[in-house]
Amino acid sequence: MSSSLISPSELDYIIRGVDDNLRADGRGRLDYREVILETGLIFQANGSARCRLSKGTDVLVGVKVEIGSIEIDGTDEEVAAVKAKRGRVVCNVECSPIASQQFAGRGADDINNELTQLVDRVLNGPQGGLNLEKLCIIPGEECWVVYIDALVLDYGGNILDLIFMTIRAALYNTRVPKTVIEEDKEVEISDDVEEWERIEGWELVPISITLNKIGTRHIVDATVLEELATKAKLSVMVNKNGKICGIQKIGGGSIEHGLLNEMMQTGRSIGQNLILNLDKMLQKEDEINAERAKNDKIGFFAAA
Amino acid sequence: MADRRRIQGPEVSVAPIILKSPNKIQLLDENLCRRNGRNLEDIRSIYLKTGLISQANGSAFIELSKTKIVCGVYGPRQTKIPAFSGKGNLNCEIKFAPFSCPKRRPPYRDSQEKELSQLIYEALTPSIRLDLLPKSTIDIYITILENDGTASCLAAAITCASVAVADAGIEMLDLVPACSASYINGQIFMDSDLIEEKRESGSLVLSYMPSLKEITHILQSGEVELNLTSQAIEQCTDSCSKIYSIMIDSLLLPIQNMK
Repeated sequence: MSSSLISPSELDYIIRGVDDNLRADGRGRLDYREVILETGLIFQANGSARCRLSKGTDVLVGVKVEIGSIEIDGTDEEVAAVKAKRGRVVCNVECSPIASQQFAGRGADDINNELTQLVDRVLNGPQGGLNLEKLCIIPGEECWVVYIDALVLDYGGNILDLIFMTIRAALYNTRVPKTVIEEDKEVEISDDVEEWERIEGWELVPISITLNKIGTRHIVDATVLEELATKAKLSVMVNKNGKICGIQKIGGGSIEHGLLNEMMQTGRSIGQNLILNLDKMLQKEDEINAERAKNDKIGFFAAA
Repeated sequence: MADRRRIQGPEVSVAPIILKSPNKIQLLDENLCRRNGRNLEDIRSIYLKTGLISQANGSAFIELSKTKIVCGVYGPRQTKIPAFSGKGNLNCEIKFAPFSCPKRRPPYRDSQEKELSQLIYEALTPSIRLDLLPKSTIDIYITILENDGTASCLAAAITCASVAVADAGIEMLDLVPACSASYINGQIFMDSDLIEEKRESGSLVLSYMPSLKEITHILQSGEVELNLTSQAIEQCTDSCSKIYSIMIDSLLLPIQNMK
């Protein structure tokens, strides 16, 4: 893990820079890097998106919807009755070894599992935003299962925030086929792409803002070196309405009580602004995609 | 021929569906009392005991009515990996007993256990003086014998592990009590059990070092207003201070008995 080392002088430089509100790349403490967003790149998937932070992290998300059976765990009748009417979301995050040497071999297992569980917890609960009841086909029997797979292609710090942004964009891009239930409970899937629908509630899917405590202050959107100088990380998940959809401390280190409240507030306001900007980008992306379809001009690096 | 070295049972187990329950469960009665007579802000009574495992350097057992957790701490011992590390390694492993949950858990390590291990590691590292233990490893093994609510289990496991580390005589900055809360219909239910947890719209687990007033871990799920979160954090830190005194008592008791 050669990339996980930081020298005392680098550490000192970062801590003092953060204290003076000027970071190595010229940003202030609460400035985000530029986000480059692209949707609809993978034609095999029902929805896809790719986000890049300038000179940094690169995440690709593919969403596939498949028909699956509804899993009911018994014992509690009231809970089972609610679950019988819902579709499911299955998330997976994979840090590819091409992104960083530290993800090679089994080194990525822990971080993959941690990120997968975190994303899964946020998107599967009531805070996930998606209207899971709309994904139910036959109550108690069949439903749409939304498989969200995120692939980290390049690592420049702040993976988690970018994963959430990309997932949100990919869900915006996702179309679920129309289904018709026939008399013998056979499910017929419409092959008319025009009839396919967006999953209801995608706009309420939260994004995450990770705040890094460096010295006595906190910053957003840390680079790799800044992450090494971080004492404690706090991820705050926020949706469009400004509701908190999850909070998690990540990594070692502790946070003072007062600072925690401050970090939550900062996270929330930055998150709401970022969502507004992302929504604008998504709308623009629709126009670009329509244009591209006309010109037959498609490619992975079109946006970069 | 069938493979006799592996467990022969079916690969998946499904709990039977109970078709009819006699009546709807009421979480709160008219006096705002919960099913087991607690108020909203009351936590369950805790039984905490140290030093039950003879082979371990430190151990603890915690019981919150149905929740039962044992923890053993081994070490510090020499790290087996040849690479030099200036700080000590902390290795946490949490395990659910197969019979601990409503549904049987297969005995192999699953992703939830891996995640919980990671969370406990993150909650405990700020409190342990790992900088004093270069080239060494501390192993913390936690077994959940009975699970009555996963969030409260995680909180209890952190509390229990912290006491076990102290019992092992490892230098620490402070003990780490942890507490959980559920958000149900806009109200905060402290230390909820399994039935309450299934009806929650969100939950909070918080671990806190009372003497340093620092939060070592926070994990919240569910869609919640910022004000309500702040209130829940406040209530959890209060409860943590209460749990803290129980932790101290449990560590002092065996010493007093020696006299």
